[in-house]
Amino acid sequence: MFCTTCHSLAVTRAGETKLIGGDIGPELTKVGSKVNTDWLIAWLRDPEAYLPHTRMTRYGWSDEDLYKVSQYITTKLVDSDLLSDVPKLDPPADEEIQLGRGLFIEKGCASCHTIEGVNPQKDFGPDLSALGGKNASELEFGAAKIPHNLVSYIQAKLEDPVSVNPAARMPRYSWNQPDLDAVTTALLSMKGAPPTSAFENLLVPRKPSSFRATGSFAEVYERYKCYACHRFNGYGGDLAPDLTYEGSRAERQWLVEFLKSPQTLRPTLILRMPQLNMSDKDAATLADYLALVMQHPAVNPASKDAKEFTPAMATLGKQLYEVKYQCQSCHTIGSSGGYVGPNLSNAGGWLTPAWIEAWLRNPQALIPDSIEPRRNFTDEEILALTAYLVTLRAGIKPQKTAVNIGALASEQGAGR
Amino acid sequence: MRIRNLAVAALGVAALCGASGCRKHARTAKVDPLLAAYDSEADWNDSTKMIPLGYQQAQGKRVFYQYCVWCHADSTPAGPSNRSNLTPVPALLDDGATLNAESDEYLGNIITLGGSALGKSAMMPPYGRTLSPEEIRSVIAFTRAIAQPPYQPPGRPGSQYSAR
Repeated sequence: MFCTTCHSLAVTRAGETKLIGGDIGPELTKVGSKVNTDWLIAWLRDPEAYLPHTRMTRYGWSDEDLYKVSQYITTKLVDSDLLSDVPKLDPPADEEIQLGRGLFIEKGCASCHTIEGVNPQKDFGPDLSALGGKNASELEFGAAKIPHNLVSYIQAKLEDPVSVNPAARMPRYSWNQPDLDAVTTALLSMKGAPPTSAFENLLVPRKPSSFRATGSFAEVYERYKCYACHRFNGYGGDLAPDLTYEGSRAERQWLVEFLKSPQTLRPTLILRMPQLNMSDKDAATLADYLALVMQHPAVNPASKDAKEFTPAMATLGKQLYEVKYQCQSCHTIGSSGGYVGPNLSNAGGWLTPAWIEAWLRNPQALIPDSIEPRRNFTDEEILALTAYLVTLRAGIKPQKTAVNIGALASEQGAGR
Repeated sequence: MRIRNLAVAALGVAALCGASGCRKHARTAKVDPLLAAYDSEADWNDSTKMIPLGYQQAQGKRVFYQYCVWCHADSTPAGPSNRSNLTPVPALLDDGATLNAESDEYLGNIITLGGSALGKSAMMPPYGRTLSPEEIRSVIAFTRAIAQPPYQPPGRPGSQYSAR
């Protein structure tokens, strides 16, 4: 299922515990002790029904699959010492309930969590938009033994709010050092209203994203939360490939097959696209939109036809690939080759000839941070290599969902 | 009288010092090279030993971990390395025994033009059209920084006029 693409589990190996998996969703190591099975099944069936703004995708699982997944979660992912040192409580008295309700508002719980009928305090936390421009003299250091400057203040406050202000209501977070540094940097950058000066003219304005999904695509895209991982014309996550130019890159038929059964092109990746059990109609809607709309201005997939390549060109291309340029050091075809670049066994079925040609000319013109080196191919070589790659085709084997669940369960069970 | 005035002045100074917390300047501690460095890299054979990197070397580290690490190290940010897949096996970047003998010009040429241009394996692609000359020089600087055994820059060639 590739739940690990977004969720992590704590795994202990050789006495060392670390989190394995993605960080888009919450860690699930002990979630089985937290959720009850009915809620879990309802959540997995349709996450949006519970949390309308969730980034969790909706899987088209059968009832049997849902049962298996929820059984796995509620029996395996549990807390072994749950409730071992929690004192027994008496049934609550009315005044205790009132006290709890008061604390819930006063301590700020209500600022993030919603309970019907409980109204949070307005402006609970102070405005931080000008924090980065503050002088040390404006800050309250309390009894903290730290250097009196803004950076130390922010870091001490983030690490332990009570250390600089005993009355602080801010929760204490357990940051790791990179996160702490990143938040500090962000706060330091917030210097309030920008000064109006000639300096502003020197800044390159950030291009706002103009991407708005439309039509029937928007509905399917919203349902599967494609944007949680993929980026569309500047909008979306950066875990998975940017799909801004996917229409120029991939053949429509390949897109349909991939959406129905995602087969990774990069075998060493750990975080992979999940099997979403899409209907034919959903897959066709997404593929049509990607193929027609998400195109690169300079790469028109209709401009090149695979029929214009001759077998002689393909033979020359194969020689160039294997001998002169030795592309196999990074790319796999069939069962041999490197795994730095994507697997090209199905290059002809996957990539459009126009994209291959433009890519060979200048990879960074299409994807600026690609690590594929830009080569000095002649036009003839580019055509020959394109002709060769277009001839490469391989069938896609369907995934067996049930087998994967079993494998995942036993693997995770062994890991714990 | 004069002595009394002096004493008052001294008292005043002491009071001022007390109020503003002025203190004899602490002796400047010896600067830790790791704190002064732009970045650092753990020695590949001994992860407890950190190597401080200068500006150019730190740039080189960034380029290395994006472009080169996949074949020139045994472990990569993504996990497995492509190095064992290749014949001939590419040199590890910290392999001083091999790389210290090569000049900066030679390393620059092989990165810019690729292996085949210098009679080596064509599996090393040319990066001259992908990386800038500064980036290539910075990768070489990074190579020199992490080499084991450590790299000794060649001395200036003796002048032909110097006394033998």
